[in-house]
Amino acid sequence: MNKLIQNEMMKLIAKKRLIVIAIIIGVLVMLFTYAQYKQVQTQREKLGTSDWRTILQQQIIDTTNRLSSSRMQDEWKKQLQISLKQQQYYLDHDINPAEPGAPTFMRIFLENSIDLFLPLMVMVIASDLVSSEHSLGSIKLLLTRPVKRWKVLLSKYITLCLAISLIIAMAGILSYLISGSVFGYKGWGAPILTGFNVTETGLNTSEVKLLSLWKFLLMDFGLVWFVSIVVGTLSFMLSVLIRSTAAGMGVMLAALISGAILTNMVSSWETAKYLFMVNLRLTDYMKGTAPPIEGMNLSFSIMVLFVWWAAAVFVSFFVFTKKDVY
Amino acid sequence: MNKNVIRSITVIAVFFCLVWLIGLGWAVGEYYAGKPEKVPEVNSVSKKAENKKGLTIVALGDSLTRGTGDETGKGYVGVLIDEIKEKTKRPVQLTNLGINGQTSAQLRKQVQQTEIGRQIEKADMVLVTIGGNDLFRGGQGLADFDTGEIAAIEKKYLENLKFILEEIRKNNHNANVFFIGLYNPFIDLDQGKEMSKVVRHWNYDSAEVSAAFPKIVFVPTFDLFELKVNDYLYSDKFHPNTKGYRLIAERVASLLTW
Repeated sequence: MNKLIQNEMMKLIAKKRLIVIAIIIGVLVMLFTYAQYKQVQTQREKLGTSDWRTILQQQIIDTTNRLSSSRMQDEWKKQLQISLKQQQYYLDHDINPAEPGAPTFMRIFLENSIDLFLPLMVMVIASDLVSSEHSLGSIKLLLTRPVKRWKVLLSKYITLCLAISLIIAMAGILSYLISGSVFGYKGWGAPILTGFNVTETGLNTSEVKLLSLWKFLLMDFGLVWFVSIVVGTLSFMLSVLIRSTAAGMGVMLAALISGAILTNMVSSWETAKYLFMVNLRLTDYMKGTAPPIEGMNLSFSIMVLFVWWAAAVFVSFFVFTKKDVY
Repeated sequence: MNKNVIRSITVIAVFFCLVWLIGLGWAVGEYYAGKPEKVPEVNSVSKKAENKKGLTIVALGDSLTRGTGDETGKGYVGVLIDEIKEKTKRPVQLTNLGINGQTSAQLRKQVQQTEIGRQIEKADMVLVTIGGNDLFRGGQGLADFDTGEIAAIEKKYLENLKFILEEIRKNNHNANVFFIGLYNPFIDLDQGKEMSKVVRHWNYDSAEVSAAFPKIVFVPTFDLFELKVNDYLYSDKFHPNTKGYRLIAERVASLLTW
C-alpha cells in the first residue's frame, strides 16, 4: 500500500500540477493584495482618517440609510440588517472587525475562495486522476499487477487527499507571505467574534464568543479543507465514471458555478438546500452571515456535504472495481 | 526523481492533512461548545489623540444632513466642507452621521451611543439638523393640520432637543455647534400661511433652547426659502435641491470664525 501511494505521489509530482497551482494562487493573491490595498487607501482618502472606529461608524450610518430606501428587496434588506447589527456589536465592544495585517487578509481570502477558487484548484488535480490513466492507456499496466483494484483506487484517493492538504497549505502560506509584505505580518492575536446566530427574527448575539484570530483561522482552514475534500472527491468520482477528463471537469465546473449563482436566488426553493453546491460556504457560519436558505446551519451543511462525500466514495469504488477495462 | 523528495513531500502533506483535520474538529466543536467561556467585555474606549493637523467635523441629523435631494450628493454639509477646505487649506475630516427620516427621538437615542459620543468628543465643529421629520412627518403634518396636536409634538421635540444639545455639550465643551433651523417647504400651498406660522414658532422655541447653551448657534433658514421656494426645492417638494443646499451652506459658512 505504501509503495502504491509513493508511486501515485511520484506521478503527481512529476506532472508538476502542484507548481502550476502554486503559481496561480501566488498571482491571484498578489492581485487581491493590491486590490485590498487600494480599497483601504481610497477609503482613507474619502473619510480623511485611518481610525477604524470612525470608518466603521460611517459604514453603519451608510447602511442604515440604504435600509431606509423602500425599493429594496426583502431578502437583501434582511442581510443588510444582520450585517448592520453585527457591525454595531463590534463597535459597541470596541473590537476592530478587520484588524489590518496579513492574518486578516488570509481570513478574507479564505472566506472568499472557499466556494469557487480553491475547489477549482482542487479540480485541476482531482478530475484526471483516474481518467488520464485511461487516455494514456496506462490503466492496463496498473491493473495487471497482482494488486486488488480497490487498493489501486484507494492509493489514488489518499494521494488526492494529501495533495488537497498541500494546496490549502500553499494557499495559506502564500497569502500570508505576499499580503504580509504590504499589510505587515502581525495580527495573529487580534480578537474576533464568532457565534452570531442568524434566526428568523434577526441576529442573535447571546452566544457570541471572543476568539484569537489564529484560532479562528485554524478553524477556517479546517472548514476550507473539508469543502475541498468533498469537491475533490466528487471530481474524483466523475473521473472514474467519465473517461473524458474534459467532460468530467465541465460537469464539475458547471456544478460549482451554478452553486455560486444559486446561493443568491434559492431562498424560496427550500429543497435546494440538499444540493452540495449551496452548502460550500461553511466559513460564513463562523462569521455569522445569513444562510442562503433559512434553516441552514453549520451541522446541517456539514451533514449534507458528508452524505455527498460518502456517496461519491461509494460510487467511485463500486464502479472502479466492477467496470470492464479495455 | 529523487525518492527522498517524494517522501518528504508526502510527510509534509500528511502533517498538513492532520493540522486541517484538527482545525475542522475544532471548528465544529467550538460551534457547538454551548455557552461561551469568555464573554466579550466592553473595554473603555482608548482616547488617543487624533492627528490634529486637520479639522474634524461631525454632522448629525436627518436627510438634510445626508443631502437628500442634491443631485451632486453633497448636501449643505458637503458644500460647506468644500468651502472650508478652500478657505483654510487644511485637511478636513468629515463624519456624516445623518440618517434619512430621523426624528428628534431617534437622534436622542443615537447621541447616547458610545461611539457617537466619541466622534462628537473629537470634533472641532458639530452640525445638526433635526425636527423636520417631527413637524412635517413627510407631508403628513400638512394633511392633519391641527394646532393642538402640533403643540404636543413640539413639546416632545423641545425636550428631545434639549437632551441632544446637553449630550453634545457634555461630550465636547469647546466645539462650535451649528443647529440649522427649519424652513417651510409648503409655503406656496393652500395652508402655507398657517404652516409658516407654526414653523416660525417652532424655530423661535428651538432658538430659545439653543441659546441656553454656550457656543450653540441657531442658524435660521426660514427666510432663505421664503420667496420662490420652488426654485430651491427638489422634485419631491420637500427637500432642498442643489441650489437650496448651497444657500444653507453659505449661511453657515458666513458664521464660521477661525
